Amino acid sequence: MDILNIIKDETIFIGLDAENREECLQKMVDGMEKAGFVSDKKVYLATVHEREQKGSTGVGFGVAIPHGKSDGVASAGLAFARLAKPVDWNSLDGKPVQVVFLIGVPEKDAGNEHIKILIAISRKLVHEEFRKKLLAVNSSSELYEVLQSI
Amino acid sequence: MKKILAVTACPTGIAHTYMAAEALQQAAEEKEVVIKIETRGAVGVENALTEEEITEAHAIIIAADMDVEESRFEGKPVIKVAIGQAIKDPHGLIDKALAVQPSAQNFIEKAAKSKEERRAQMTGPYKHLMTGVSYMLPLVVAGGLLIAVSFIFGIEAFKQQGTLAAALMDIGGGSAFALMVPILAGFISFSIAEKPGLAPGLIGGMLASKIGAGFLGGIIAGFLAGYVVQWMKDTINLPKNFAGLKPMLIIPFFGSAIVGLLMVYVIGSPVKAIMDGLSGWLANLGTGNAVLLGLLLGAMMAFDMGGPVNKAAYTFAVGLLGSGIYGPIAAVMAAGMTPPLGLWLATFLAPKKFTAEEKEAGKAAGVLGISFITEGAIPFAASDPFRVIPSIMVGSAVAGALSMAFGVTLRAPHGGIFVLLIPNAVVNLGMYVVAIAVGTVVTALLISVVKKNKTAV
Repeated sequence: MDILNIIKDETIFIGLDAENREECLQKMVDGMEKAGFVSDKKVYLATVHEREQKGSTGVGFGVAIPHGKSDGVASAGLAFARLAKPVDWNSLDGKPVQVVFLIGVPEKDAGNEHIKILIAISRKLVHEEFRKKLLAVNSSSELYEVLQSI
Repeated sequence: MKKILAVTACPTGIAHTYMAAEALQQAAEEKEVVIKIETRGAVGVENALTEEEITEAHAIIIAADMDVEESRFEGKPVIKVAIGQAIKDPHGLIDKALAVQPSAQNFIEKAAKSKEERRAQMTGPYKHLMTGVSYMLPLVVAGGLLIAVSFIFGIEAFKQQGTLAAALMDIGGGSAFALMVPILAGFISFSIAEKPGLAPGLIGGMLASKIGAGFLGGIIAGFLAGYVVQWMKDTINLPKNFAGLKPMLIIPFFGSAIVGLLMVYVIGSPVKAIMDGLSGWLANLGTGNAVLLGLLLGAMMAFDMGGPVNKAAYTFAVGLLGSGIYGPIAAVMAAGMTPPLGLWLATFLAPKKFTAEEKEAGKAAGVLGISFITEGAIPFAASDPFRVIPSIMVGSAVAGALSMAFGVTLRAPHGGIFVLLIPNAVVNLGMYVVAIAVGTVVTALLISVVKKNKTAV
């Protein structure tokens, strides 16, 4: 499967500087727009926030997976950030977050190949080994390698 | 080995659904527990749980922030949590699922379910007949109860045009009951030949109804239509360009014509004669014959508790409702209530003869009994068939015979004691209660005598 269809250099942030959840999301969405995944930043960001309000997407183990299904998304895409310093995400286990996967899916998109990749990544995140690898990546190409291994 | 099932779902269906599933899977593997997880996410339902798996499962974990069609788990121990919980603490959830105790209700459900499965595996005419009956029953329930309600205003009240009683009679008798036989025939045929079978079956049933061939005619029409259409489906081969004509034109037209003409010219009249004879005989039944019929129907109701013999008796009585014969249905309902009621009573009369689990099941059986759900007796019969089944058959036969002997009639086809509360739904209500009570006591006494003591509880 071709991971490059859903993640691009513009959406990979190694050592992202962010003071809080808000700033982190803002920066990542900017990258999603540059890469062409997101067509309407405002609409998409609103969906992501809405989702956060329903319950934090900080799933524990220092990982968060904010996501939104929105008309502001042109095609399914993924942004990855490893934060320079952990930020509070109101996580399920209370721990601050260091790895963030931001997922964007178009409103009218269901069941296609891209979504299957996103699902596969979500599943993988539960495994400690996979998370360790993510925490250790130092470049885009290393991240591709880790994701490619799914 | 305990098998655990789980369902995960979240509104977006991309991340949490699958993370929760993976977390549970991982935790189960570590604990060496067998688990199957259904995911309901953006790509639809995957790894769907089958009815059989649900029946066999020890417990079901629902980790979801949305609806997951929970009704299919009715009667099973269900542990329901927000989806985050499954990601955060999958081990704790699985421990909790392993620790739950099945309740008495599950005990009953299990038996009823296995019964149902056995029936689902059955093929051939019996299955088709039961499909037809199951589609017809809601009409009978609706019609019977609405007619009963109209009688609240007095038995003759509906004859007054423009009254509420007349309207209720028109809904129940004029419409719901009028649809009974067509729907019965239509869905017997549907069960045999699928969608193309429906129209010829409905038409055949309507004709049976009009001719006066009653439910017997409807059953015949249904099977006739089903097999005729099936035969047409199998044998007629049109060139590809015209293939669309077969379901749209050929089968509806010729299928209905064949079934209809056979009903009108061949089958209708003799079956009408049989139905008239049967109705006449039943309407003028002497006490001796009435008691015999009651004994027979009663024993049939208890023999397999919801199985084919029970359904044969029940279908017979329900079919007669459509012809205005209300005695047999009363006998059948009384006889269907006494097996679970009698067993419930027996757990009090002879507590030493039942396991702790059976005593729990006894309470549930009581509730099922008053609701006319004979299946409530199954758990007891399954564990000790040769003592329990003859006992409940005798009790039910007594209840059926007494009901017939007292000339009790019932206008509704179902509902247990709850229909007894509707004024005029039951004629000779007092003696009906006596018939049910005597049947219950006879069942309980027999069970208490023939069952052996449990050595260790």
